[in-house]
Amino acid sequence: MNRRVSLPPWVGRLLACLGGSVVLAMMVGKQQGSKDDYGLAFREAVLNPRIFYFLLVGVLVFLGITYQDVVRRYAGRPGVRPLLAGVLILLASYFLMKWYDPLGDGKLATFGAAVTSTPAVAPVARIFFGWLWWVGLLVTAAATAAAIVWRLRWLAWASAAVSVLVGAIAVAAHSLAVSFAGGIDHSFGAQTALIGNLVLAGAGVVAAMSRVETARTREFVERVMAFRPGLPLVAMGVVLGVLALVAATWFDPGGKNLTLVDTQHLFAGSALSGVASAYLAWLGYAVFAVVVVLAATAVWTAQKTLGYVAAGGAVVAILVTLATLHDISATATKAGYPGSAGEWQNLGTGGWVLCIALFSAGAGGLIAARRAPVIAPEPALARGSGALGRLHQVGTSTTLLSLTLFGVGLALFYPPTATAFWQQALVTDIGVYVLLAIGLNVVIGWAGLLDLGYIAFYALGSYTTAYFTGSLPVQPPIHLSPLWAIPVAIAVCLIAGVVLGGPTLRLRGDYLAIVTLGFGEIIRIIAVNNPGDFTNGPRGVARAVPHPVIDLGFIRFEWGGSQLQYWYLLLVLLALVFLLFWRLEGSRLGRAWAAVREDEVAAQATGVNTTRVKLLAFAIGASTSGLAGVFFASQVGYFNPQNFILNNSILVVAFVVFGGMGSLTGAIAGAAVLTWLPDFLRDQVPSEDRIMWIGAVLIVMMIFRPAGLIPARRRKAELTGLAGHDPSVDQDLRAVPAGEGV
Amino acid sequence: MSDFLNYLILGITRGSMYALIALGYTLVYGVLQLINFAHSEVFMSGAFGSYLVVHAIVGNGQGVSGLGAVFVIIAGLLSGAITGAAVAFLLERVAYRPLRRRGAPKLAFLISAIGASFFLAQLFGKMFNRLGQNQFPTYFDANKVLFTIAGAPVRLLQVIIIVAALLLMFFLDRLVSGTKLGRSIRATAEDAPTAALMGVDIDRTISRTFIIGGALAGAAGFLFGTAFVFTNTMGFIPGIKAFAAAVLGGIGNIRGAMIGGLLLGIAENLIPTAPWVSTAWIGIQWTDVVAFVILILILVFRPTGILGERLGRAA
Amino acid sequence: MRSTRAGKIILPLTLAGALMLTACSNSSGGTAAGGSSSSGLGGAGNATYKIAFQGPLSGDNQQLGINEVNGVQVAIEQANKSGNLGFKLALLKADDQGSPEQAPTAAASVLQDTAVLGVVGPSFSGATKAVGPKYGDAGLTMISPSATNPTLSEQGFKTFHRIVPSDNVEGSQAADLFAKKGYKKVVVIDDLSDYGKGVADTLQAGLEKHGVKVQRIGVDAKTTDYGATATTVAAAGAQAVFYGGYDAQAAIFAKALQTAGFKGDKYTGNGGKSSVFTDGAGAAGDGWYFTCGCSDATVAPSAKEFNAAYTTAFNTPPSTYSPEAYDAANALIEAIKTAAKAGTPTRQSVNDAVNALDYKGITTTVKFDKTGEVDQSAQTVNLYTQKAGKIVLMGNIKDQG
Repeated sequence: MNRRVSLPPWVGRLLACLGGSVVLAMMVGKQQGSKDDYGLAFREAVLNPRIFYFLLVGVLVFLGITYQDVVRRYAGRPGVRPLLAGVLILLASYFLMKWYDPLGDGKLATFGAAVTSTPAVAPVARIFFGWLWWVGLLVTAAATAAAIVWRLRWLAWASAAVSVLVGAIAVAAHSLAVSFAGGIDHSFGAQTALIGNLVLAGAGVVAAMSRVETARTREFVERVMAFRPGLPLVAMGVVLGVLALVAATWFDPGGKNLTLVDTQHLFAGSALSGVASAYLAWLGYAVFAVVVVLAATAVWTAQKTLGYVAAGGAVVAILVTLATLHDISATATKAGYPGSAGEWQNLGTGGWVLCIALFSAGAGGLIAARRAPVIAPEPALARGSGALGRLHQVGTSTTLLSLTLFGVGLALFYPPTATAFWQQALVTDIGVYVLLAIGLNVVIGWAGLLDLGYIAFYALGSYTTAYFTGSLPVQPPIHLSPLWAIPVAIAVCLIAGVVLGGPTLRLRGDYLAIVTLGFGEIIRIIAVNNPGDFTNGPRGVARAVPHPVIDLGFIRFEWGGSQLQYWYLLLVLLALVFLLFWRLEGSRLGRAWAAVREDEVAAQATGVNTTRVKLLAFAIGASTSGLAGVFFASQVGYFNPQNFILNNSILVVAFVVFGGMGSLTGAIAGAAVLTWLPDFLRDQVPSEDRIMWIGAVLIVMMIFRPAGLIPARRRKAELTGLAGHDPSVDQDLRAVPAGEGV
Repeated sequence: MSDFLNYLILGITRGSMYALIALGYTLVYGVLQLINFAHSEVFMSGAFGSYLVVHAIVGNGQGVSGLGAVFVIIAGLLSGAITGAAVAFLLERVAYRPLRRRGAPKLAFLISAIGASFFLAQLFGKMFNRLGQNQFPTYFDANKVLFTIAGAPVRLLQVIIIVAALLLMFFLDRLVSGTKLGRSIRATAEDAPTAALMGVDIDRTISRTFIIGGALAGAAGFLFGTAFVFTNTMGFIPGIKAFAAAVLGGIGNIRGAMIGGLLLGIAENLIPTAPWVSTAWIGIQWTDVVAFVILILILVFRPTGILGERLGRAA
Repeated sequence: MRSTRAGKIILPLTLAGALMLTACSNSSGGTAAGGSSSSGLGGAGNATYKIAFQGPLSGDNQQLGINEVNGVQVAIEQANKSGNLGFKLALLKADDQGSPEQAPTAAASVLQDTAVLGVVGPSFSGATKAVGPKYGDAGLTMISPSATNPTLSEQGFKTFHRIVPSDNVEGSQAADLFAKKGYKKVVVIDDLSDYGKGVADTLQAGLEKHGVKVQRIGVDAKTTDYGATATTVAAAGAQAVFYGGYDAQAAIFAKALQTAGFKGDKYTGNGGKSSVFTDGAGAAGDGWYFTCGCSDATVAPSAKEFNAAYTTAFNTPPSTYSPEAYDAANALIEAIKTAAKAGTPTRQSVNDAVNALDYKGITTTVKFDKTGEVDQSAQTVNLYTQKAGKIVLMGNIKDQG
């Protein structure tokens, strides 16, 4: 037992890499095991010539690790990161994305084979789909890499130019081939290829222009963000806005795809309201120009007042744009224009993208009003001293703020342009789980209580709603509309949270986990077993839960017409909860949670009533879950206990940790990414394998970013503090992770 | 009475399998304070691994004599254990060790474990099949009544499962309390930094702990597959139950896991069906509720389980 | 130098914007019904229409969905190979994990593809309830091979059809049979699923009407240990037991029941009647009865062909609801053919054709009444039994006993 067989370390590493590539080979592809022949899938996966591709990947990884010193020396050069990103994007576009929906699996290989075998297609398309796509990738990637390694400036420029050309050809070839073939196409492949090629070109440009030895991407981003806070947002707004005004579709009755100018021609002499027709003629351009100039000036001169004015102007401009959009669609429908389908229908992307652009510019102004720029001394010295430290601070926080604001803009105005599928997915798959993740973040991330039965409260909220809207076999004393059920459901979940939490919260971490898990299962089984014919058992609610209605006498609005209405309702709920929790985090209670999480005994010693504090976290989390339940019940109308299985609880925990425990934006990002992924994978891998890929993503993510996508600031400090990066601490001491209070 | 004994025997059978799986949870928890959520998939892999071996030996189960069957069962247990150990070893290497090296927060381990669980279950499904009814070939009369206790028959398979589980648990107990490896496991569980200073190779100890736990779960996978069926998702429910059993007995405590497993198995079989004459009693659909209510009640009154924690002090 | 670096950050952002503009501009207004994706490339090829399948392809119930989608795939491949279609068919898989929560998204992915002319599915009643109105509004016909909840046909879904009888039919006729056979007490077990509980409930109601004592047991479908259940059944002193659930579990239960020494008659429903049951239960399955609203799938020559094709394609014999899914797909193909004869088929014309269909499938004659149920004339519940590992037809359940 004690005799160690010592092999050179590289043998083990090589074997691990090759083993990894075999596993990858088994994961990729359609092969599927069978009952009578257990080796079938294995043979299909491994005993095929294709295994050599995977082994090659394994060998490359092995070489990369073995010679990492050499690799690192080159990998640090400016341009390497964009090069890798570009290649990855291109690979994704060529092998993962769809290029043409109506044909087979729609991927490049299928579509390309069809195109090249059709002589009548334009030669450009046949050339691109025949060989240019992969030759282009190989040549430009190799040339850029060579240019970076040997510092050949001319080669870098040349390959950048070629990349741009290939990207342009990709888009042109795709649109030629699609218009030749006809059919409705939702594919993103060509656009992704364009992006990939442009990123590659960017790599070439960076390699050609930069003189420094190693790239300092983070520092560079920080400097840009701190230079004139808000400037990137305004620039983004300008670009998007110009594209929207000049090139995008504003109105497309029956697939006509009219730009802003065409739309103006179409509505000339119609009964369009004054503002709208002015908007189409000149007002649109004017308001955009005003907002952009205001914002740009505010950003450049760091004028507080001007920044607020720009933000206000942006709001007004967005309102005018929305009014115009509504007017266009309504007027066209009223006039019976062929193909128009009603209010808010048939609108192209133009109007919405202009809204995003205005929002972005306004947000830029707002940032300018709140953050002063930092003028950095040119040669970058050590971090942490004086102006540079501030640069780092301002840069980082401004980056986060800018991204968040841009995300808000997208959340507001992007969904109307998405396909029906993605609108549906946004509401049912993504939105609700974001809400759940925010709620669970309070319990896990802030108070440090591991709750594996979170979905139980979601179920309680849903069934409470169903009960009070009269959708269960048992009739309630009073019928409520779903919106009125919200306070009731929150109250029910609060009580349930306290009832469960009261006796069990004195349990430590993992004991609490299994107790909550048990609670979740108990609730689900009760719903299935249907005592007293209350829940209607596995058949789900007896009658559909009605849609929410706002009825104020003079104004009545009922949800249910389209998923977008639910999306905006969800946004309002999300915003309310977010603001509430955001305030909570920094409050006395929030700090008490942190104290309890870090060291319960110490917290108690300093006078924190730990039981009360934990119970509050539990109850607040529970009621958020209940709120999500109300939304869910009235949105889907129909549900059964199947929706509340244990797996969903586990998934929500995964969302929170994946996003970054204790970070509100992290919880949102984690839930959004991990709920988006299965829907994205729908087109990429066999449906049966989706869960496997998600599992793999979880492992890889936790290995390379254990603190999550967007780590909480406090946690980050913990991780990089003490044992985290102190080389003097012995490896063995860190073999066991420090308990985190959970 | 015979009904009661019937259920009791069924309960002990089920409980021994829970106990075998629970030991893996407890061992890992002891040294790492980590719920190894992917342990249920180690259990599943044992069933598939041993099936390949057993099927290769006996084919469709014809022409295996009495002594041959014993040999096959031992081969099945061994191959299940080896598969389980291999999967557990790889699991630790791929999903946990890199996180330890980076000093990841504890919940990151949990998520990595959940990811590994999803991944393994579906990869096995993709490689073998996703059907719900894989069975071992019939190479001995599993249902032969060996003897009866007060009218309750005790069957061959039940005896095999109980005996195998007891033997394995006995060996584990000796291993942990009596060998050098066991000492280093206990030392690591008690206080890892100090153990490291005393010359215990922590990485190696953790790795071996995973291997031991994996072997037990893999053997349990073989027994489970022989008794019922095996599927790529079979691990989930026994995994949760075994985890509950481990907590019930006091997680991190080896004897606690054994007691917890047996207790849970017996309670699950006895309580929903009792009293054994009345049909108005709650019924089998409440089995899981019963199991979890017992768990919650015990934890409320004994917050660290029946025997309390600490792998280090188990022996 | 600063400007180039600025380029590095602004470039991707610009591109993201460009992407949104270009990629999304064709998205709105895509609700137009009727799908004629014209030619493939070159115009010379035939038009391609799609048949969608909606059901659980991942998650806990994936096996059922896989059984069905495989059946659909066999039907489509056979149709394409037959060469008399005049168009090409393709399969669109929409995974709803069998849950009503995921169903709307799956349905949205089906609806937005205008080449889809009909849906086989949804597999589960819950999912059907969640998406019935959506498909109805789009005029897209759906033929479910396995959603048996009786209330589905009463919801007023405009395009709903199913080729299996509802739980009511199977359950109530089984109750009549049990009464005729003179059972005094019956143990009725369900697997706590929508289907199992549905059949068991109607059976229980029917039996109680006839004055037969009923003991109900529920066992979760994910259970593998049926020891306690079987012991309870054996100790109950009943003359018969009925298991409402699916084949794989029924097989394990059959074995446990044999071990426990239950002597009475053993029944299961449509969900349990498949080769998975016979393979899994082996000798323990002999003597089991199956009530099934389906005709004998071993008699028709097309059924044998289907079995062979399925086994070759997927290396496993057809399982629960594979033949039904095959029939549903064939019925749909038949309807598309009819609609194509009258011009370019649209979703509406295909739905009309489905309503008017009279097609002999391998499990039933596909002919729908106004609510989307299989027409009374074609709706017979047969009794089968397992003899020496093979399922054999005993005849109409009304003539038994």
